Amino acid sequence: MNRLSGKPINKYPYLFIAPAVILLVIFFIIPIIIAFGVSFTDMDLKGLANLSNVSFVGLENYTDLFSDEKFLKSIYNTAFYVVIGVPLVIISSLSVALMLNYGSNWLFRTFRGVYYMPSITNIVAIAVIWGYLYNTDYGLLNYILSLISIDKIPWLQEPTIAKISLIILAVWKGIGINMIIFLAALQGIPKSYYEAAEMDGANRIQILFNVTLPLLRYATFFVTVTTLIGWMQFFEEPFVMTDGGPLNGTLSVALFIYKEGFQFSEFGYAAAASFVLFIMIIIVTLVQFKFSKSE
Amino acid sequence: MKKLLVLMSMMVLSLALVACSGGDEGESADGEKTLKVWAMGEEGKKLKDFVKDFEENNPKITVDVQAIPWGKAHDKLLTAVASGNGPDVLQIGTTWVPEFAEAGAFKDLSEYMDDYESFNKDNFFDGSVSTMKYNDQVVGVPWYVDTRVMYYRTDLLKEAGFDQAPDTWSELKDAAKKLADRGEGQYGIDIDRNDQINPFIFAWQNGYEADLANKDLNFESPEFKEAMEYYVSYFEQGLSQKEKGGDIIQGFKTGKKPIFFSGPWMIDIIQDKAPGIEGKWATAVMPKKESRTSSMGGSNLAVFHNTDKVDASLKFISYMTQVDTQLDWLETSNTLPSRTEAWEDSALKDDPMYETFGKQLEQTKPGIQTEQFERIAQELLATLEKVVVGDADLEKELEKFNKEAQELITED
Repeated sequence: MNRLSGKPINKYPYLFIAPAVILLVIFFIIPIIIAFGVSFTDMDLKGLANLSNVSFVGLENYTDLFSDEKFLKSIYNTAFYVVIGVPLVIISSLSVALMLNYGSNWLFRTFRGVYYMPSITNIVAIAVIWGYLYNTDYGLLNYILSLISIDKIPWLQEPTIAKISLIILAVWKGIGINMIIFLAALQGIPKSYYEAAEMDGANRIQILFNVTLPLLRYATFFVTVTTLIGWMQFFEEPFVMTDGGPLNGTLSVALFIYKEGFQFSEFGYAAAASFVLFIMIIIVTLVQFKFSKSE
Repeated sequence: MKKLLVLMSMMVLSLALVACSGGDEGESADGEKTLKVWAMGEEGKKLKDFVKDFEENNPKITVDVQAIPWGKAHDKLLTAVASGNGPDVLQIGTTWVPEFAEAGAFKDLSEYMDDYESFNKDNFFDGSVSTMKYNDQVVGVPWYVDTRVMYYRTDLLKEAGFDQAPDTWSELKDAAKKLADRGEGQYGIDIDRNDQINPFIFAWQNGYEADLANKDLNFESPEFKEAMEYYVSYFEQGLSQKEKGGDIIQGFKTGKKPIFFSGPWMIDIIQDKAPGIEGKWATAVMPKKESRTSSMGGSNLAVFHNTDKVDASLKFISYMTQVDTQLDWLETSNTLPSRTEAWEDSALKDDPMYETFGKQLEQTKPGIQTEQFERIAQELLATLEKVVVGDADLEKELEKFNKEAQELITED
């Protein structure tokens, strides 16, 4: 009851969050800080073996990056992926969720599973199968097209078409997880809203745009943010399918970083590139939060 | 991106943790030693059983072989270099030697060279000897070798009027033209555009040579340019398929791609997957321009820089490079012996497939011995891709490539 001595500090909340914070600091915060430091050095394999071989190069890695044709191309490619891929994923997963929400018998339940499958399939298996589908000479896609006498499409051999091919693959793979989120949100919308709308004589389209979509606002926001971040780090698909080719046409920023770091052992340069990407992601995410707040 | 960031800095972190490791000496009271050996791919798996014989002869040494898939090997070695926590003996692909030698991953074996007669340079092919050294250190001993030769369909070449394999550049071109003329979808020769060593093979055959002592890669030399023109011409004249088409085995089987260059591993694969063309194909040494040079590949055995079991390690390497062991290993793994003496054995000499390799191995060069080779080779492939697929001008692109490569090599 002695107010002058102040409240004793309650240590229990800190004890509870300590494990999470310590893990976060050791495995995320410290590495990020170290990587930030590394990005100002010429760290390579030699430097890794013996730290005395590392020297400070200031902003050189960063200035080099922005005059590196390959890096600029990877930024362009990543923008291409994001601008086309993200809306496509959101629209398709939302449509699939809306359709699957119409019923709940075994057919709908089966298709929920079917649409979710790609998300949990191993990327290497996917790469093998899609590699066959996309093969110019004997791929299934070109075979089907040849039946309706359409010429061979070089699915993975022409820079722009290859980007689109990878987007198709990534959308196919990305629908599942987002569909589940949308489905959960859809099932959380109280039936009474629909009943009220029907009673007011609203048709299906009106119900969709005036009831369902506004009530899915939070789910949509969540899906948009996570999908956007995921697509800015677009990596697996070009890594397993094209290795960045043809003519660096499918090289994404993340793949560029991987190649610089682990193929050519230029850790300093790769760390600088990953910081550029890190900052781009933060900016894009902040802009999104800003927009959603102003609504 | 965070994942990569984290991975990268974990490697740096692990440096700091080196001090905490140790203690694992692998040596028990009575002087028994466990030798840690890293081997890659299929060889790694097969080596596990293969070392039993060595263990019997050296009861005090136990060999612990760890098989590492090729795809993971580079990362694994990086981590070992960063942490200083490596094996005692490791297999190292010849193209990786300069990169890891530069980082100090290997023990300098110069002082032990006279102690084991099987380490003698005269035992190996000329192409291998240059992979043993880095600057003035001896960093490894050739374990097995491979090289590229020409695989061709004897029946189809006969139809095209060639009783023997094309022997020169112009004959090869001629044959390719005749074979490609067979009709739509038929090609003359298959050139894998992702194969880094292929452009260099052509360049070497045309008399190209890098001058590393003066840090001059000579990519501007007429020999190099001409070889690249030759390479590109196969695609421009439709003699080789530009786009990634079917699997080469399929192409070889159906005859769509009746000639290609590849290593010894293809013999088994063709026999396995295309038994139908048995007797209708053969191997031949590379066609000649100035020379018949092909690439020297394969793996060396090296000792990790901070091992404390040097004697046991060297004993093991010495065992693996004995002629008898190498012939046994040939039977086990189908990889080619690095010891020239082994090639005198009838198992190799009297087999027409292997005989070709024996001849070709005498005219080989390893990739340019600089730690930047991987990067330079990738840049060259990208440059050629621009010309073949992107219709860029070869002359201009080569100039750009030369500038970049030259910068890479003079950087350090």
